[in-house]
Amino acid sequence: LKIFRVPQTSIRLLLLITLAISAALVTASCNSDTGSVYDDIEWDLTLVGDEEIVLDFDQLLKMDPISGTSGFFTSVGIVNGPFDIKGVSILDLCDLVGGVNSSEFVRVSAIDQYSMVFSYNQLHGDFITYDTGLHEIESDDLVTVLMYELDGEPLTEDLGSPLRIAIIGDNVLTEGHYWVKWIDKVEILHFD
Amino acid sequence: VTAITYKRLPAVITSLVLLFVLLLSAGCIPKKTELWVIVAGSLLVPMDQIETEFEREYPDIDVFVEGHGSIQVIRHITELHHEADVIAVADYSLIPMMMYGNYIPGSDDSYADWHLKFSTNSLGIAYTSTSKYADEINSSNWYQILSDPEVTLGISDARFDACGYRAMMLCQLAELYYENTSIFERLIGSRFTQPMTVTESGGVYTISVPEVLEPAKSNLAVRGNSVWLLFLLDSGDIDYAFQYRSVAEQHGLEFLELPAEIDLSSENHSESYSRVKVRLDYQRFQTVQPEFYGEPIVYGLTIPNNAPHPEQAAQFVEFLFSREGRSISSDYHQPLMTPLQADNLGALPDNLQSLAEQEDEHSY
Repeated sequence: LKIFRVPQTSIRLLLLITLAISAALVTASCNSDTGSVYDDIEWDLTLVGDEEIVLDFDQLLKMDPISGTSGFFTSVGIVNGPFDIKGVSILDLCDLVGGVNSSEFVRVSAIDQYSMVFSYNQLHGDFITYDTGLHEIESDDLVTVLMYELDGEPLTEDLGSPLRIAIIGDNVLTEGHYWVKWIDKVEILHFD
Repeated sequence: VTAITYKRLPAVITSLVLLFVLLLSAGCIPKKTELWVIVAGSLLVPMDQIETEFEREYPDIDVFVEGHGSIQVIRHITELHHEADVIAVADYSLIPMMMYGNYIPGSDDSYADWHLKFSTNSLGIAYTSTSKYADEINSSNWYQILSDPEVTLGISDARFDACGYRAMMLCQLAELYYENTSIFERLIGSRFTQPMTVTESGGVYTISVPEVLEPAKSNLAVRGNSVWLLFLLDSGDIDYAFQYRSVAEQHGLEFLELPAEIDLSSENHSESYSRVKVRLDYQRFQTVQPEFYGEPIVYGLTIPNNAPHPEQAAQFVEFLFSREGRSISSDYHQPLMTPLQADNLGALPDNLQSLAEQEDEHSY
């Protein structure tokens, strides 16, 4: 057995380094507990149905998220995605204000007042879908969502931050005009 | 000596690469100017070739051509705030409707204050040799064949694409031309889940397009852009589609030409075309409530007032209307007008003014 003598100054140095690393780890750990990437987002989403309610972004994040892989293409075939998408189902949002039935449709509007409508059938998955080669394919279990996360990151302004329509499924594409950016209102409307 | 040279070669190459990287990062090597040209989908094929030839003549400019339905082309500028150097659409009237008097944020300038009318087209029926009744269809019986429940028909979405609302106009004009009041209802009106109303006032027929445009029957296919209907024709999923002549010819499809009284091709029939209009039955855009009037199909282009590279944009437009540009467009079944017509000749860039004439206030 060999015993090495270590100088006292080295022991002090070692202790200091250990302390510094521990402090850094504790600080980082505290920050990750409170520092969500969504903390700075202030956004109101108005839902109009039997009643009108306003959700803030925190309330939206507390709803059950839905994930899927999908993308879209422009009207002349430029493919975007597929992406890993996370969001909240439009049908779940409608349920908060009375739900939507087959004699109704849903209009989603953006802050620039651009809007898009979705029929009852579409909200239950009736879309034309394409593979990445832009051939039409059959696809089940499509869900229309308000997306807030794309490939694990919050949306950027250009991508439609903080909320954008997405039609998610299993690695499919849909026409890009459905994917409205900057959504701030979801309305349930009756056919006249 | 040779041995020494080879020995030093890796060091020399490394130095050269480093020097190149340094020069590039210091901005000593000029970057190409990126010119964004956004066009209607029906112009993409000739425009791709124009891009290639223009870049050959102007190697310091890199052109990016992007296509959308015509309404979307303008919406990209005015509502999504993308910047483009040149825009070209399949319906010139969209430019004054959506860009004039619509101000660039933080500026006193409209998005545009002039446009050039530069090309025409006609609308007809595209099909293939395997389409049902392909050997029987002609300009007298087409609406009867397309009414057959066994025949599948394609139309682009009138909410996004000029070809879609023009197809509706064509069917309504057909009622007047063939003196048959059921054509619109049988071909289009009855095939959607929500009613599409046609009202007549003062001899003008207004087609109201509902907000939800969903096919009720499996013999109708609706797509966001007329170009997508081509793939359905190729695959045999549909038998016929309303389509521009240029697009059908570019893709080698059969094309049934219809009478000039209804195909929206002729200035001589402007007055009868004006008896129909299409109205979107809801607020589609922030700034305008679009109503589309029956007119001859005339393409329009402009350089937006917020174009990042107006000088190069004007060079591109000049090239488009050069002998070479015209020849390319002609080769792709999209001949350009001579002379071009400008609504506000004095506002055009200097190099373009001699290419156009001030339009007659009453033309189109």
